[in-house]
Amino acid sequence: MASTIRDILVDSEALYGPEDAIRYKIGRDTIETKSYTQLKEDSESFSCILQGLKEQGNHIAITGMTSYAWLVAYFGTVNSGSVAVPLDVSLPAVEMCELIDRADVTVLVIDEIRLDVIAIAKKECPKLKYIISMQKEESDEEILSLSQLFVQYKGKYTSALNPDSLATIMFTSGTTGKSKGVMLTHRNLAEDATCLDMKIPPRTVVLSVLPIHHAYCLSMDILKGLSLGSVICINDSLLRVAKNIKLFQPNMILMVPLMIETFAKKLEEVAGLPKEVVKKEVFGEQLHTICSGGAYLNPAYIDLFNSYGITILQGYGMTECAPVISTSLSWNIKKESVGQLIPNCEAKVVDSEIWVRGSSVMLGYYKMPDETAETLEDGWLKTGDLGYVDQEGFVFLTGRKKNLIITKNGENVSPEELENKLGENRIVQEVLVREKDGVIEAEIFPDYEYIKKKEISDIQGTLQQLIDEYNQKAVAYKKIYRLTVRETEFEKTPSKKIKRY
Amino acid sequence: MFEKLVELIGNYVEVEAGQIVPESRFMEDLGFTSFDFMSMLGELEEEFDVEIDQKEAANIRTVQEAVEYLEKISG
Repeated sequence: MASTIRDILVDSEALYGPEDAIRYKIGRDTIETKSYTQLKEDSESFSCILQGLKEQGNHIAITGMTSYAWLVAYFGTVNSGSVAVPLDVSLPAVEMCELIDRADVTVLVIDEIRLDVIAIAKKECPKLKYIISMQKEESDEEILSLSQLFVQYKGKYTSALNPDSLATIMFTSGTTGKSKGVMLTHRNLAEDATCLDMKIPPRTVVLSVLPIHHAYCLSMDILKGLSLGSVICINDSLLRVAKNIKLFQPNMILMVPLMIETFAKKLEEVAGLPKEVVKKEVFGEQLHTICSGGAYLNPAYIDLFNSYGITILQGYGMTECAPVISTSLSWNIKKESVGQLIPNCEAKVVDSEIWVRGSSVMLGYYKMPDETAETLEDGWLKTGDLGYVDQEGFVFLTGRKKNLIITKNGENVSPEELENKLGENRIVQEVLVREKDGVIEAEIFPDYEYIKKKEISDIQGTLQQLIDEYNQKAVAYKKIYRLTVRETEFEKTPSKKIKRY
Repeated sequence: MFEKLVELIGNYVEVEAGQIVPESRFMEDLGFTSFDFMSMLGELEEEFDVEIDQKEAANIRTVQEAVEYLEKISG
């Protein structure tokens, strides 16, 4: 078991040096590859860049689609004892800059598709000293070119790392609406990724389709994949998952339930044909395993996929636990369960809520002592999930304690955040946001006196317009897809809060 | 283009072809998930041999908007 992220890379390089570590597309159908040795060397050169800029040890934000440059920046950062802050590339610029500032970031490594962020970051993030572009060919006064820095600082970097030092801050939605920076150490991430032997042979081909700023993708696709000597193929766009399956011919893919549902529809669409033909058409010749995480998966899909010779392994976790808590194994499945606790995790149930403890539990939330104290108690992490654990360590979930909405693609949405935004409008007296049938919906009790005074005749239309305006600015997974208008007030709890259920 | 799109839509959601009109919204009216929508765009890329920009595609809400976008990029 590795205790630092650097150990993972060093150990695998020693075993698999010249073999392919990363495969990705350039252009439409050409595949380029990087070996374990190249990945290690380029990461060390990135560490040298940070040292050369005198930023080693500081907080380095990385944002972009999954790419070789992203991975090199990530490993180069954490392996130099600096702290990586992966940011969602699809965040609105203002939100992204707020996180850059709040995480005390001094260097931003950015994909040029987000040039809009650069303009705002220069004004709004006073602590930010350097912006490094992943694509720019030549540095100028404002933006450094990653490829030029590589030439300038190319070198070896070795230094001892404390396994319990901070490696990564990952942002996740909080119940108060403000996203929280989860602080994960080297040990948190490295042990979570390597403590369980899933009997995956070396050279297994993995297609990485989930967003790289998610703990599940970073830990299980990348860290676990590299620790096992896998070949990690990068999916260039969510549009092209089906096409890239045919191109890369993976053995394994990590998915969120939303994707599994879409694939299930494709299977149904060609249901009349022999199963071997369908499997080849939809999943290629080599796929045998799909790991599902991030949100709840209906167990019916496990049977459906199984009939096509594909094993779905359902897991459970949260960013605060680096992230895996439990997982199913192909030889050890209880269908209604989200899997067995992994070896570095123990669990107990307190008032129906699952608490976990072990080497992957986070240090806390960055600069949020109150939220940290609410979530951690004597080393136990309160998951906010209701459920139970059987004698063999299998975890069964029954619901969420918090109001947090978990969408089918695993994004966490705080309903309060959306409610507060909608509530800013004078016409909205009370509002409740929740998830129903897989989409986010809002129920609004409008201010009827105000409506009368303003002589508004089309109440539904006026409120829908409000929602449309909100949706235009919102990131995709926070958009509201349904509106219900109430004629009476919401039922309240004794403390005058709207009853959610 | 509209007819081809209607045919593809039928692979993702159970809506009768006659019910699909240009104003139909993919997610709200037809019941697409975001990933259904992405996957369909991927199929369209193959079908019409075009390259779809994921960011621009995110602004497409109705069938009509999709038809217009496809006509624009396929020249």
